[in-house]
Amino acid sequence: MSDANPTTENVEAQREPTKEEKIAEMIKAKFPRAEVEVRENKWGRKRIGVSVSREDYKPLMEFLRELDPEAHYSIAIEEDLGEELGLATHLLILYEDAPGVSLIVKTKVPKEDPVLPDVSDVYPIALQFERECMEMIGLDFEGAPDKRRLFLPDDFPEDIYPLRLDEKGISEEIVKNAGHPYLLRRGST
Amino acid sequence: MIKLPLLSTVLKNIAKRPATNLFPKTDPVPVPEDFRGKIIYHVDKCVGCRMCVMVCPAGVFIYLPEVRKVTLWLGRCVFCKQCVDVCPTRALEMSDEFLLATYDKYDKKLRWFTEEEIEEYKRKLEEQKKAKEVAKKS
Ligand code: SF4
Ligand code: SF4
Repeated sequence: MSDANPTTENVEAQREPTKEEKIAEMIKAKFPRAEVEVRENKWGRKRIGVSVSREDYKPLMEFLRELDPEAHYSIAIEEDLGEELGLATHLLILYEDAPGVSLIVKTKVPKEDPVLPDVSDVYPIALQFERECMEMIGLDFEGAPDKRRLFLPDDFPEDIYPLRLDEKGISEEIVKNAGHPYLLRRGST
Repeated sequence: MIKLPLLSTVLKNIAKRPATNLFPKTDPVPVPEDFRGKIIYHVDKCVGCRMCVMVCPAGVFIYLPEVRKVTLWLGRCVFCKQCVDVCPTRALEMSDEFLLATYDKYDKKLRWFTEEEIEEYKRKLEEQKKAKEVAKKS
């Protein structure tokens, strides 16, 4: 087989550590307690998943920003995990030569003490997502410069967090349904 | 100097006929094939499998356990056709009808299998049952 054979070339390219693997190794070296794994979807797109403790969360975000000052903070998603509150942040780094490295940073905090450090000094856009987390799930961000509500109306009860799955979430009484005529006729809504 | 790049186009178009449809003086623009209009429900074909209740994103269907049928309120329908695709007996169908404005959101034309029809259907079932019993006895 000649060197020009595309199959052999592919095999050789795979032996080289990919961008994702290199970044994953760097994160592992710097944060030994973090769980790092590189996953691949059925279209061959790779993504790094990093799970860190609350203490490592901010240092990791700063580290990624130093690694690529152009790092793109796409979104942060809050989640109720039962005993804990989770936060997943999606970042895209090193996208100068496409495709960039897609990276998900996951962290979780216990519900009794739901506090995370604010990262809006590292990624300014993070503040929006933090404000959303604060009102939607009651995850507090220490040191956030703006803690006003973002989406909920001002007359919404203070101690209710709509995305919580527990007793602090939306109760049956709050849910309104603009009546199906069949049910209305039968006297219930 | 003022530039008027659209001027020549405007002048050309002044001479042309308007390209509008004068509805309601004329017929509306014809609908394409497989247009998704008002849902049609064939009560007799329905086997009460509740698949449509499961897939409908808009809460159009209410299942009626006592007659094993469904009742529909199209005031909420978003014309996604998922119920038609999932129905195993083709009891649901999409029509070409799209002029559905009404003064009352609970209008008869937005409902299928209303309370009266359900009562009537129940009576019919009762009669059938009685007829069967009579037939058995004789
Ligand atoms: S077309 Fe869609 S919205 Fe309308 S009744 Fe069927 S499933 Fe529901
Ligand atoms: S899916 Fe079809 S057969 Fe099943 S309950 Fe709905 S209308 Fe009836």
